[in-house]
Amino acid sequence: MIKLFGIIFKNRVFIASGVFGFGLKYKRVSNQVGAIFTKGITLEPRKGNPPPRVFETASGLINWVGLENPGVEKFCEEILPKMNKLHTKIFVNVAGSEVVHYERIVERIGEQVDGFELNISCPNVKEGGVAFGQDPKIAASVVARARTKTKLPLIVKLTPNFCDPLKIARVCIAAGADGISLINTLHGMVYDTGRKRPLITGGLSGPAIKPFALYCVNRLQGLGVPIIGMGGIMTGQDAYEFLLAGASAVAIGSAILRDPYAPLKIIRELKKMSNKNGNS
Amino acid sequence: MVRRVTIKKKQWFTDEIFGLEVHLPNLDLQPGQFFQVRTSTTYDPFLNRPISIASYKGGRLLLIIKVVGRGTKMLGQKKVGEDLQILGPFGKGLKLKKKKSLLIAGGIGVAPLLFLAQKMYGKRIEFDFVYGVKKEQALIKKSHISQIARHAIFVAEQGRSKMTVLGALDMLDIASYDIAYACGPTTMLIELQKLNLPIPVYAFCEDFLGCGCGLCLGCAIMYKGEYKRICEDGPVFELKGISFDE
Repeated sequence: MIKLFGIIFKNRVFIASGVFGFGLKYKRVSNQVGAIFTKGITLEPRKGNPPPRVFETASGLINWVGLENPGVEKFCEEILPKMNKLHTKIFVNVAGSEVVHYERIVERIGEQVDGFELNISCPNVKEGGVAFGQDPKIAASVVARARTKTKLPLIVKLTPNFCDPLKIARVCIAAGADGISLINTLHGMVYDTGRKRPLITGGLSGPAIKPFALYCVNRLQGLGVPIIGMGGIMTGQDAYEFLLAGASAVAIGSAILRDPYAPLKIIRELKKMSNKNGNS
Repeated sequence: MVRRVTIKKKQWFTDEIFGLEVHLPNLDLQPGQFFQVRTSTTYDPFLNRPISIASYKGGRLLLIIKVVGRGTKMLGQKKVGEDLQILGPFGKGLKLKKKKSLLIAGGIGVAPLLFLAQKMYGKRIEFDFVYGVKKEQALIKKSHISQIARHAIFVAEQGRSKMTVLGALDMLDIASYDIAYACGPTTMLIELQKLNLPIPVYAFCEDFLGCGCGLCLGCAIMYKGEYKRICEDGPVFELKGISFDE
């Protein structure tokens, strides 16, 4: 067990936003991880992007799902009551195309969850998303305004796409963020040589980005708030590396696409590694 | 959960289509369902490959695979006695209707329809089977299909018949069937939709899948005005409800 943001988590292995729906299908997995970060929730329902939405790349994949979600109302009415029966901590990933959306979503959800992850780093939407996470003023404003609406932990999910996450992290913490999660997916593209145009442009994830993710986590250590590290974690060894680099917890993303039970294996392996190395 | 199974049999049907047989007892498998097959124990290729069920009898599962890229090429290099890591079954199974049916297969789209035919034969549901390919030598399992279908028609665009599978439909009185099931390239399904057949047509769809089990929303298909997940809500959809251009 670990304590972060004043909350007790059963372990340091969390599930990243976007790869596990709302944790309601594989409940055995949901009930054993430290926390679940929901799919990105927006103010209004979003139908998502047209296909193709995923494309495999070397040791990873590019996704262009585009925040498909039922919107905050339906989430609160229909999904959240079911999620709250899970034996894990629930963090809602909050996404918006305007600054004001974040605070409205946080306000609407209220205290029905354990905390929020402000997603200012999604590369797959036209407005908001990654653009907010690249601009220190907007990032600080999103956090400060959401802060006025909740006392629950506010984590900010950062991008390293064309900006220094250290700079953004500092202003977010000053604006009231309780923690940082990173990295979101990297900009990526696959070209269709036959049609001479991009086949897919989206967010790159998987083991291909792990060294860069690890570097980013390490760069942000020592800021005085917990860091949730993610990016291509496939094994307990990978998770352990993130903890050594400065993360307080890790989140599993793309590994779930290969095996929905991957988090359980990672929990077991991490426990073994930690015991061997005398950490808790 | 990843299952490790041993490859019991392997057969090359053509120079690019092969079958892998594994022992996987006590499953209740339905036509339309598929398995996610891992191509490599490393992370490259990263994603599992969705492979439909071609046959399931006495605990023996047959997967028929066409080499289309690096992942399927690696599967083609697997040998009898080697382990195969698979997840599943996934996908909504079809509930078979006791109706006079027409099965329309294009290319490797024959694989899931072979399992549908096997189930229909077992339930004594009458069906005809139309199966078309580009090159004559790509027609697989012809004698098996001929044995279990009431009538079977085989055509090849570059063969003696010089006919596409949809061209072959002209030879049939479509209205004499109650229902049709089709699987083949998306271009074939689009053309089939345009034919506006007078009976309900159910299409077995494919796409690049992420997780294959309904979590990632990576395999979207526009169906009756909203995106559905091919892996979890399908992969079988009524053809007229699909918008291929969205």
